[in-house]
Amino acid sequence: MSITLILFWFLSVLALFSAAMVVASKNPVYSVLWLILVFFAISGHYLLLNAQFLAIVNIIVYAGAIMVLFLFVIMLMNLNKSNEPKRNKWLNLAGVLAGGCLLLVLVAALKNAETKATLAETGTGNIGLIENLGKALFTDYVVPFEISSVLFLSAMVGAVVLGKKESSPDTAGQSGKSSEK
Amino acid sequence: MPVNYYIFLSLALFAIGIVGVLIRRNAITFFMCIEIMLNAVNLLLVAFSKMHHAKQAATLATAGIDGQIFVFFIMVVAAAEVSVGLAIIVMLFRNVHSVNVNFLNRLKH
Amino acid sequence: MISLTGLNLILPQLIIALAAIIVMLSIAVKRCHRFTNLFTLLSFAAAAISVLYIPRGSFGVSSLFVVDGFGKFFTVLIACAGFVITLMSYHYLNAREKRNEEYYILLLLSSLGALTMVISNHFVSFFLSLEVLSVSLYALIGYLKEEPAGIESGIKYLVLAAVSSSFLLFGIALIYMQTGHLDLSGIAAGLSSSGEFSGVFIAGLAMVIVGIGFKMALVPFHLWTPDIYAGASAPVSAFVATVSKGAVFAFLLRLFYSTGGLENKNVWTVFTIIAVASMLFGNWLALRQQNIKRLLAYSSIGHLGYLMVAFLAITDRGMQAATFYLVVYFTGMLAAFGTVIYMSNKKGEALYIDDYRGLFWKKPWLAAIFTTVMLSLAGIPLTAGFLGKLYLLTAGTEVGIWLLVIVLVVSSGIGLFYYLRVVAVMFAGKNENEASSEPVIGKIFPHGLVLTLLFLLLLWFGVYPSSLLEIIQQIASVIR
Repeated sequence: MSITLILFWFLSVLALFSAAMVVASKNPVYSVLWLILVFFAISGHYLLLNAQFLAIVNIIVYAGAIMVLFLFVIMLMNLNKSNEPKRNKWLNLAGVLAGGCLLLVLVAALKNAETKATLAETGTGNIGLIENLGKALFTDYVVPFEISSVLFLSAMVGAVVLGKKESSPDTAGQSGKSSEK
Repeated sequence: MPVNYYIFLSLALFAIGIVGVLIRRNAITFFMCIEIMLNAVNLLLVAFSKMHHAKQAATLATAGIDGQIFVFFIMVVAAAEVSVGLAIIVMLFRNVHSVNVNFLNRLKH
Repeated sequence: MISLTGLNLILPQLIIALAAIIVMLSIAVKRCHRFTNLFTLLSFAAAAISVLYIPRGSFGVSSLFVVDGFGKFFTVLIACAGFVITLMSYHYLNAREKRNEEYYILLLLSSLGALTMVISNHFVSFFLSLEVLSVSLYALIGYLKEEPAGIESGIKYLVLAAVSSSFLLFGIALIYMQTGHLDLSGIAAGLSSSGEFSGVFIAGLAMVIVGIGFKMALVPFHLWTPDIYAGASAPVSAFVATVSKGAVFAFLLRLFYSTGGLENKNVWTVFTIIAVASMLFGNWLALRQQNIKRLLAYSSIGHLGYLMVAFLAITDRGMQAATFYLVVYFTGMLAAFGTVIYMSNKKGEALYIDDYRGLFWKKPWLAAIFTTVMLSLAGIPLTAGFLGKLYLLTAGTEVGIWLLVIVLVVSSGIGLFYYLRVVAVMFAGKNENEASSEPVIGKIFPHGLVLTLLFLLLLWFGVYPSSLLEIIQQIASVIR
């Protein structure tokens, strides 16, 4: 058993277990922490595949930015105590069954693919390096790159519009500026 | 590494995400499950990108690079979507003092 | 690589993007609703006119976009729809919301997403456009602060859209695995070299259909539609019903026609089931609705089902019929939501069919317009809707997809009931006890004018369709 294979299995088990714990945890803060572990495991997979740029971006963007945002919101609203209503056991079971069925269907659809012999190269190949990705990003993909900046603009405007909405509608927006919480 | 392994790993992660969306009622956990699903897709795309690179590297040095660029854009989109989503969740919390999505049933009439 | 000369090919998109930024900066300087509205109108008009400056022919912009007749036609259609929605939003927002300049930024950005989607020729550009469209829509749906349902429908749409786009992405990944390409021409080449479709490709296509079907609200994926239409403000509902669905339909045509994905029997059957279910369920569920926005939501599901008939014909005729019907659908839906906006007041929208009771005796002209709109949506002769359906039927019968044709006829028959119910209510006796104290939002200018214009368009296309058909015939063959 080569070292790559051992690492692959270790990271896969870690990712799957952490993902299951994200769903199973009652407390959202725990979910966030488990989710960060998922991201690290997946970044490990990217490193195995020699996609170094994506590995680092995955850590910075997901674990660094998005998860901090999640934690902020959870703590801002003081949700760390689980106040989720008692879930119906049968509904849960139905949910798990539905997910399992989907998994089965997809596995059945994909297991016959002639991919048994196909390998994804690990450790070699330099397309995942920042130099090559940057070149492609700023030549062929420059228009989508600009569109993604527009996407952030709309996300920003949307978040501000929604976030500024005051809970007391009669006082808000009278003078165009609303008081902070 | 056989690409099959990656397909099944991604499928399993994706299915976990779907189960989470189906059984959890907390809007924040909802979003975390969606992140898991997106990550499953990202892993799949990177694996396929390396697969195509291994196949065609002899003819085209940058073969398979589009898959990794796509992953980059998916990350961008996930960040944007989460920021708006969390803003909506905060609004929801201010209105109904809960982030459970059961409240949404009020819409039906 | 894109050169400076390539920029004039994406002129409409650039104009709209620039307009959004200018509107944002102008808000920082001074809030003025009238200016913002006028500026947005001007930029939509400029975007529509700028299409004339794009040279004829089919040009690729860095292999991710393709600017051809088809794309230009949809650009104009979306810009016109954006223009009409902006025009109808002004008094509505004045009456119902205090801070309303940001609405136009979001509207412009959302339209920008639609405009880039119709020229997309690559999954990356499609996905990014889809997200620009949706992310702005989340905020637009939750925009009205006095509407408690708004925020809830916003989060509902957000969660479902996010799940559906993960499905879409998974599907794209599987297609990528099979073909090694993300651009549509590359996918087509990869497919034709491999001969027949593999299981992976079919699974990928199925998951893409989930994502696209959600956006177009086709039947198994339609559950969000009535809630979102009812929860969002009427102009936003009009936007969701027209621009967002129309743009995705345009990409659907491009995707399946240029890659030949429909030639697979399984894929074709799945689409047939979806189309039949959309036509029947959409019209059947609309029968029981008392809320006019929910009624329009179900009716739009049915109409998208009709469009699928022409899509499944896979002929030039089918493509022309689909494009013609889409124009008619846009006109009808915009006019229908325009009437809802007209009849709304400060307190709320005229949501229930009873709000329109005796409209004919109070506002005969508006009632006449609304009647025509309903008749056109139902497909009564002399209106555009009738001719549109006729073209769909001929496109279907030509290739002999009889099941779809029969379902189309039957569900149009079902549809007749609820459209005529609305018409009947308008001509019923006066509803005295209502005596609304609040004046309606609608003004002669701009609402009356716009509605009259849309009304004339419906009649014009219904009596003299060749003017529109000539344009469509020029663009429709480009794509295949």
